[in-house]
Amino acid sequence: MAGPATPASAPNRSDKRAELALGPLSSVVLVLIAGMVVFVLAKAWPSFANNGLAWFGGGGNVDDQLLEIFNSPANPDAYEYTIHAWPLLYATALVTGGAVIVGLAFALFAAIFIVEFAPERLRAVLEPVVRLLAAVPSVIYGLIGILVLVPFVGNHLISQGRKESVAYVVQLSGNSLIVAVVVLTVMITPIMIALIVDALRAVPGSWTEGAHALGANRWRVVWTIAVRAARPAIVGACVLATARALGEAIMLSMVSGSVGFAPNPLDGLTFFVEPMRPLAATIVDNAEGLSVKPLGQTLYAFAAVLLVSSLMLSLGAWAVRQPMKRYGVRP
Amino acid sequence: MKHRMPLALTVMALAVAIPASTASARTTISMSGSTSVAPLAAKLAKGYLKAHPGAATFRLGQGGSDVGVADVAAGRVTIGNSSRDPKASDPGGIVWNRIARDAICIATNSGNTVAGLTQAQVQAIFSGQVRDWSQVPGATKSGPIDVVVRTAASGTQDAFQKIFMGSAKVSSSAAQKASNGLVAQAIRSDPNAVGYVSLAFTQGLNDARYKGVACNLRTAKSGQYEGVRNFWMVTRGKAQGEALRFIRWIQRSRAARAITATGWVPLH
Repeated sequence: MAGPATPASAPNRSDKRAELALGPLSSVVLVLIAGMVVFVLAKAWPSFANNGLAWFGGGGNVDDQLLEIFNSPANPDAYEYTIHAWPLLYATALVTGGAVIVGLAFALFAAIFIVEFAPERLRAVLEPVVRLLAAVPSVIYGLIGILVLVPFVGNHLISQGRKESVAYVVQLSGNSLIVAVVVLTVMITPIMIALIVDALRAVPGSWTEGAHALGANRWRVVWTIAVRAARPAIVGACVLATARALGEAIMLSMVSGSVGFAPNPLDGLTFFVEPMRPLAATIVDNAEGLSVKPLGQTLYAFAAVLLVSSLMLSLGAWAVRQPMKRYGVRP
Repeated sequence: MKHRMPLALTVMALAVAIPASTASARTTISMSGSTSVAPLAAKLAKGYLKAHPGAATFRLGQGGSDVGVADVAAGRVTIGNSSRDPKASDPGGIVWNRIARDAICIATNSGNTVAGLTQAQVQAIFSGQVRDWSQVPGATKSGPIDVVVRTAASGTQDAFQKIFMGSAKVSSSAAQKASNGLVAQAIRSDPNAVGYVSLAFTQGLNDARYKGVACNLRTAKSGQYEGVRNFWMVTRGKAQGEALRFIRWIQRSRAARAITATGWVPLH
């Protein structure tokens, strides 16, 4: 900001101009987001209103309920709305949570390696590759999942006996929780690595040098100084990755199993190969029926849950980051 | 996938000198709807323009049967394509014109050469009463059956329910796939799988021979194969003008019949 004392009027004016142009632009973005939230919630309202809190609960088979909704009679008063979306919510949480936790572990160590330990020549290759991976469209991961991983898990990791043990409850075909989590992890880890690398680089050299001077070894310096200072950015990376994982639809629709089943941890190892279907994938799979009004409203309700969760996520991350910021760096 | 694809195809008619007396703005016939019908509709539109140069301009979108029905009811398109039959919840004031038929095949993995399933067996398998291949005569595989079906909103699912299942309910543990291609892929990669696909998607799969009849164009045409569904072009009110001529041409002309017969079952 040029002070009023400086008579340099030309740059000042162009500053003003930029302000005038960018201000409204960013406000438009805000209005758009607000409008979108209102629109989705309004569309979704009948589904929530008809089910109340039971919407979030379990009970019955969610696929049967979707079918009933799809086959609603033409009379708007007789629309069917009953849905208990718990298996879908649970699947979303499982897949997203699993992928983000595993991804964070990988991303953190990979980033530390890239920044601190990798030889210069390796780093010159690694970094661009990671950034490239972050930009691969999800449908490609979906294809790899469905053509390679699903058949592999289905034909080699799941024994006949395991299939038979749950045959009356659920089909184990390879489309499974584990494949979904693995592919999703591969999808979101590069973004996290890229962000954490930037954060680690932004840690002031004097901080780490100070620690080195005190005799700490490299690992200790990284772990106690750089990673600690980068915590706000690491939380930010997780939020971004979670948001991408939450909204991932196409890939999960391809690999996750296409059935509204809630994998049961009590099944032991079978738990990992049980199929399920997260919210976003359910929206894609049923998009063909959008024109059936009650089904459309139900799908909007799924969308509303995703939208509100990602908003909450951003708010939550903001709150978590506040105390960390005192000694942290923000890239 | 079922993305809406406006302008998936624009067939531009060649400008032909039209006598002044009949000169009018060339009409545009817009279509949307079933992804199963779309390839046939595109071929028919091309054929129609060959027979009647400059008669109309076609615009073909997709989106799924329900999209087609909703679009045409709202007047957004001239013709809505549907691969499912009319149902109670459809909007009023629309007319269903049958244009062709299509076979739905029951398929298993190529390593499991089931040949010949009765309707009762199909119902028992897809409803989850029979859950192991060892209980199915003719199966060359034992172990749990993985049933693969289509999502509720699919036209193919609707037809399968009506033609094969009757009042029996598809098992709720069945995997629901969003397209013919995904069902075919699931069956191809899983030796225990069974599912149903449109005739055009049976490559590399074992034909389970519904009622002992092979599922192919010949048996579907001759009426031996019973798993056949209808393709519809839906109009808002009775078809009029160029749309009427187009649908009439599809239903009655020899040229249209020949085009349909390349991969579907003609009406007559």
